[in-house]
Amino acid sequence: MEQLIIFAVLITLGYTAGTIAERKHYRSINARESNFLNLPAVTVKNALDEDAEIEKVHLVLGSVVVSIDYFKRFLAGLRNLFGGEVKSYETLVDRARREAVLRMKEKAERANIILNLRIETSSIGQSANKRQALGSVEAIAYGTAVYLKKKG
Amino acid sequence: MKYTPRELKDNVNISWTSPLKELFLLLGGVLGIVLLVYIALGFAVDVVVKKLPAEIEKDLGGLYSGMYENTEKTPAGLRLQQILDELVKQLPERELQYKARLVHGSRANALALPGGNVIIFSALIKEIDSENTLAFVLAHELGHFANRDHLRGLGRRLVLLFFSVALLGTDSSVTNFIMSSVINVEMKFSQRQEKMADLFALDLLNRRYGHVSGATDFFERMSKKEKMSHILYYFTTHPYPESRVGILNEKIKEKGYAMKEKIPLNDSFKSPED
Repeated sequence: MEQLIIFAVLITLGYTAGTIAERKHYRSINARESNFLNLPAVTVKNALDEDAEIEKVHLVLGSVVVSIDYFKRFLAGLRNLFGGEVKSYETLVDRARREAVLRMKEKAERANIILNLRIETSSIGQSANKRQALGSVEAIAYGTAVYLKKKG
Repeated sequence: MKYTPRELKDNVNISWTSPLKELFLLLGGVLGIVLLVYIALGFAVDVVVKKLPAEIEKDLGGLYSGMYENTEKTPAGLRLQQILDELVKQLPERELQYKARLVHGSRANALALPGGNVIIFSALIKEIDSENTLAFVLAHELGHFANRDHLRGLGRRLVLLFFSVALLGTDSSVTNFIMSSVINVEMKFSQRQEKMADLFALDLLNRRYGHVSGATDFFERMSKKEKMSHILYYFTTHPYPESRVGILNEKIKEKGYAMKEKIPLNDSFKSPED
């Protein structure tokens, strides 16, 4: 019985803490994304006008590690039995990707555009290489920040 | 190329279904399957256990003998065997050679292991002050053998352990959850079996000594001692001592068993470790 109680506590804790943290994170992501609306980050290597004069370019990189809560891990474990979309991991990866891009943009606040954007993910932590476990996910976003000379 | 900033309204990468709904759906499915397997397993084990020949049980007992074979033949151990032998003489049928072993241990507990091995932990002796009470504990374990509970428990656990480890691996949180819920179902079976063994022991005690004094002593003592914490090992598989005393007293009244003077415990038990 004690084991079940401990389990129920962990699940409730995971669900409450996880939901609160996730909502808070999404609020922050949405606010910062609208702040950075004027700094586009694109995957093409060259999207500049032909007559644009470049002041400087440099590499920008943003990375984040997000961990999964007990509730989501348990839900994904159940999913492993039946198959199908692992919905509980979707927000985890989505948050990691967007946060990484935001951190990357924060490195180049005054840039005009970020070219050649790439996003990569990897799982890290103790259970990273085990078959059915996912500890935390790391997302790295990197690209080339381009600063143009002011015209006139 | 002109860039027009625009905010994205929907997020296609996230499903907007409630995770709680998904949890209950999946959990219901898993628990349903586990329950079906468990019930099927229960029937299978019950059939196998009834037909299991004594030879195979002896082989199974061999698995355990390695753990406890080295207990020395102390005076206390010999006396324990004598008490057990006297009880066994009263049994209508004897399939196994029953062996009592006194093992050093800090838990006040006794075990019935396959192959006719009765394990008594030294901490249990300290809680006992008469030979009659010790005989009752031994008779209780003989009751488990008579009802073949020791095989039932072993069979279910072995099969379940095998399945969960084979399907999910040992460190999956799902395995842990399934195991803990299964153990809780098992507890109910065990409590019923403990009750049956208690009543068997009471009957055997009466046949051996002609009275049942001392039968409830151990549980009375335990219920006084362990009032503080109920989350101890002993109680997780056994009913609460208080309710066991109640059931035994009812039975004693019903059958009209006599109460006579108890035989004090042999001196050799006083300090079994020395």
